[in-house]
Amino acid sequence: MATLQLNNIVKDFAGTQVIKGVDLEVKDREFVVFVGPSGCGKSTLLRMIAGLESVSSGDILIDGQRMNEVGPAERGLAMVFQSYALYPHMTVEDNMGFSLRLAGVDKEQRRQKVLEAARILQLENLLERKPKALSGGQRQRVAIGRAIVRNPSIFLFDEPLSNLDAALRVQMRIELARLHEELDATMIYVTHDQIEAMTMADKIVVLQGGIVEQVGSPMELYHHPRNRFVAGFIGSPKMNFIDVEVRDARGEGILVRLPGGGESRIPVDGSGCQAGDIATLGIRPEHLILDDNGPLTGEIVVIERLGGVTSLYVQCFGEEWILVTDGEVSHRVRDSVRFGFAPTRAHLFAEDGLALPHLERHPLVSVERKENRAAIS
Amino acid sequence: MTPAKRWLPFTLKIALLTLLLLWTLVPILWMVLSSFKPNSIITANTPRLLFTPTLEHYATLFSGGNSLWPYLTNSLLIAGTSTLIAVVLGCMAGFGLSRIRIKGKQHLAFWIISTRMAPIAAVIVPLYLLFRYLYLLDTHIGLIVAYLSFNLPFAIWLMTAFFDDLPPDLEEAAMIDGATKFQAFRLVVLPLMTPGLVTTAILCFIFAWNDYAFAQTFSGPGTQTIPIAAAQLLTQTGIDWGKLLAIGTIVVCPMAIAGLLVKRWLVKGLTLGAVK
Repeated sequence: MATLQLNNIVKDFAGTQVIKGVDLEVKDREFVVFVGPSGCGKSTLLRMIAGLESVSSGDILIDGQRMNEVGPAERGLAMVFQSYALYPHMTVEDNMGFSLRLAGVDKEQRRQKVLEAARILQLENLLERKPKALSGGQRQRVAIGRAIVRNPSIFLFDEPLSNLDAALRVQMRIELARLHEELDATMIYVTHDQIEAMTMADKIVVLQGGIVEQVGSPMELYHHPRNRFVAGFIGSPKMNFIDVEVRDARGEGILVRLPGGGESRIPVDGSGCQAGDIATLGIRPEHLILDDNGPLTGEIVVIERLGGVTSLYVQCFGEEWILVTDGEVSHRVRDSVRFGFAPTRAHLFAEDGLALPHLERHPLVSVERKENRAAIS
Repeated sequence: MTPAKRWLPFTLKIALLTLLLLWTLVPILWMVLSSFKPNSIITANTPRLLFTPTLEHYATLFSGGNSLWPYLTNSLLIAGTSTLIAVVLGCMAGFGLSRIRIKGKQHLAFWIISTRMAPIAAVIVPLYLLFRYLYLLDTHIGLIVAYLSFNLPFAIWLMTAFFDDLPPDLEEAAMIDGATKFQAFRLVVLPLMTPGLVTTAILCFIFAWNDYAFAQTFSGPGTQTIPIAAAQLLTQTGIDWGKLLAIGTIVVCPMAIAGLLVKRWLVKGLTLGAVK
């Protein structure tokens, strides 16, 4: 297993900079997820790590060794592609054993290793089949199996679940997380799906426009987003944002004026703010509470009932707010509702988009994914 | 839809297909059939379908002083070699052209195929002069080069389209699996290119095999191909229909049989990329 270090990585494509100086450290056995919108450079970054794209400037170090000029074959990595990239003319067994065949491993030993990987992924009965005779999920497993057989120092996954249907995606997500535990390997995973990122990652790297917006644990990103982009990207439905006026920045937290005239003191560090400044208040839909005495009021325009929870789209002083509430609420469209929030759950962003740091860290931020999994099992 | 309305398009379709089949196949079948007829009934005013078949035309073609063997050998050698070179070079150039990331790639590809657009008549005289200076007239190499000048751009263009259709992920996966670029090409890309290679080879071979204009201009006594042999049967004193039809059959049949044998790949190749 291995560590990975990216030092000021830059990638130019015909004069356009698509990766603009990325620094990152991936620890041994860590599950790191690159997440971001389409075109943010996450796949390019992964391909640069794999050796499939050249590095314009900066250094890629694997286990402390500079890898910029080393070919993909010699980096000792394995990659699972979005398209699976199984060799269509080879059987599952030949697909999985291809890297060993290239390495000159004899047939018997090759078969042994393939069988071992097939057992982990429950592919034993499919070894004689060609990829076209497999379902999407099975192809995905074969692609992962091919990576396992190679016994790589780092596993790379390029949006491996995006071609699967929703149910299978959930199943494969759990299997991948389990696989990480079982193999105890360093894994780097690219996705645009923040749920995949939140559920699997030890560490999430949020990218936008070729730069790293934030690196942190899933809970850190959720509870302490560094800026407005991360706050909006992590969490579903998206965080509500509203411009508010700072009334008082002295003392504990910042007192802001809410739409409709109410006031709320948000417990964030206000040392850079002063009264009269305009800031952006961010509150996640699940942190808004229906409350007859709440400071905000509006009219419901759309209701989405998902059974367990209900999303209410509320028009409130010219802005649309989303509230995620209990599935049992009996409100109807055009009903008027009052709602509020706990100030500790609110976020405040300065005019440059950076978040004002909370005075207290959320207790779950320090809980690692492995502890979560242990608690479940 | 009433039954009549449902049947009408179907009947029309069958009728059109039958007409098309007759249009295409009757001349070929007639040629093949007539090549087995004795001379006396080939040109009879009332065409005859029932007759005692004879191999006399084929026997005379392959015997005597002006046997067809040398022509057949020349055709196979020239068409085969030019096809082989066109496919090998076209495959490598097509792969490079498909995968390379350079500015103006489309223009380069278009420039290559545009050399195929000139009519044969336009290049015959310059090529003739060139070949005369290089002592390539009446040589196998001369004809191979002449066919390559048309087949190579075509092969490059066709193979580029085939490679464009093959996701680069596959060779990248192979390289991550430990393959060199050439190993990835040989072990992963090439086996998947069989439909493309077969299609390109057949189309190139047909061009060289059927050509008359280049062969007539550049060949000499030692390098004449089958179409030239056929043309020699059209003399001022008359046409030897029996032998002509037999040669026609010999020219058409290998291509038709080869086409049928590789039909699976040919259809796959010609429709590659047409549907997702």
